[in-house]
Amino acid sequence: MAENKSNENWEPKIVAFCCNWCTYTGADLAGISRIQYPPNVRVIRVPCSGRVNPFYVVKALQEGVDGVLVSGCHPGECHYITGNLSARRKFAMLKNFLTYIGIDPDRTMFSWVSASEGEKFAQVVRGVTERVKALGPANKLVKKV
Amino acid sequence: MENVEKQLREEAKRLLADKKVDVIVGYEEGTLPLQTVPCFITNPDDAGKLVWNSFCSQNLAKYVHDIIHQHRESQVRVKPEDKTRKVVGVVARGCTTRSLVIHLQERQYDRDEVVIIGVPCTGFVAKRKVSTLVDGKEILEAAVNGDKISVRTTSGDKDVPLKDVIADNCLNCHFNNPVISDIMVGNEAPPRDVDREYDSVNKFENLPLEERWSYFTKEMEKCIRCYACRNTCPSCYCKICFVEQSQPAWVGTGDDPTDVQVFQIMRMFHMAGRCVDCGSCVEVCPMGVDLRNFLKKLDKDGFELFAHKAGESIDKPAPLSTFEMGDKEKFIFEPESSS
Ligand code: SF4
Ligand code: SF4
Ligand code: FES
Repeated sequence: MAENKSNENWEPKIVAFCCNWCTYTGADLAGISRIQYPPNVRVIRVPCSGRVNPFYVVKALQEGVDGVLVSGCHPGECHYITGNLSARRKFAMLKNFLTYIGIDPDRTMFSWVSASEGEKFAQVVRGVTERVKALGPANKLVKKV
Repeated sequence: MENVEKQLREEAKRLLADKKVDVIVGYEEGTLPLQTVPCFITNPDDAGKLVWNSFCSQNLAKYVHDIIHQHRESQVRVKPEDKTRKVVGVVARGCTTRSLVIHLQERQYDRDEVVIIGVPCTGFVAKRKVSTLVDGKEILEAAVNGDKISVRTTSGDKDVPLKDVIADNCLNCHFNNPVISDIMVGNEAPPRDVDREYDSVNKFENLPLEERWSYFTKEMEKCIRCYACRNTCPSCYCKICFVEQSQPAWVGTGDDPTDVQVFQIMRMFHMAGRCVDCGSCVEVCPMGVDLRNFLKKLDKDGFELFAHKAGESIDKPAPLSTFEMGDKEKFIFEPESSS
């Protein structure tokens, strides 16, 4: 990431863990509908938001991403019924904990986007990208290689 | 105290003699001042070794888990009809019983594999605090004398008030009396200063972000990754801890500062809803890393978000192993112009 820091035209790298059944499909819909959103997100498809180990988030930050987004089905709509409800508890605590140790809360974001919300997916990505951009390149927890 | 000790020895002796337990896990006199060590008694005649005093710092639930699981492993190749079980008796104060509750909730063993000898607790002495009060001089001898500890150091004797050297976690402990037990010895211990339990966390939360980060990194810089904190923690019982997994290798094992930070973040996060604030990790840490400041935050969130206190009762599942439809979700990002 070193080259990024000196660069005026720095663009953040954001990892988005998207659940296969809702957010990923929503992202697909955004694509099919040709809705524009910033190209800063790298989408990783996961079976369910409940599949996202909190470690993935921490590890992504260590590997140098500037922001992490985890997104799944709205509560009550999870393909596996309750995966997102467990996820919600985990991430409520994770986000608080990371903020407590001094990691900016805007670096770790969570959202619900359903398969029919292509526009909302684009808005979430815009919103997250804007916030991460405002923070600048990640410099905490980042492993220098 | 003496009385508790006497009863404790009698009960332990009786349990062993009646073959109600195979082994008693308790504390015995250590070889260093300010310290007792865990002991494992199988012969009723040895029950007299047991002690119970302000120097009993470690959470013995760890050993209950270890003994039962090692025994089970030794039984894997034994014919079903010849299999044996091991019943462990344990000397348990409040936090130890909460750790046992967590084990039982997580189905690590059955309730009838443990016999809990509950002891009331007035807190243990933090060695580091004593050491600071005697200016880091080497301590040769120490004994509790009423509400003081008489310490003999290489440069003379000193009396330090007991209340000044009680471990931080004990000062605001909610559960100094056992939450479950089969046998109780002694009388109920008086309540501690529980209202101020989260004061330190509240204070830390209000510091600016950068100050929190620099405190975190400063503390983590001290860590030499000896894993003593993990090894003593009753809630860290994974057969293969993530730090030792190699496929994938979750976290580097070198001395890269971010690897240390990531290791600590994840180990502590594994304690969400499972840390009973027994203080064992802090007590065993050779580098004096302030782990408690961070673990206590998880405890506080567990309480504030999910009304949960780790190991409080067998019927209350850990916060991250359950959920409710109406859980708070203020942290979920909603873009402004969401239509
Ligand atoms: S992490 Fe919590 S439960 Fe584990 S030893 Fe430390 S204080 Fe005790
Ligand atoms: S006991 Fe202390 S030095 Fe050892 S790994 Fe834990 S925090 Fe680090
Ligand atoms: S399947 Fe989408 S969150 Fe579980």
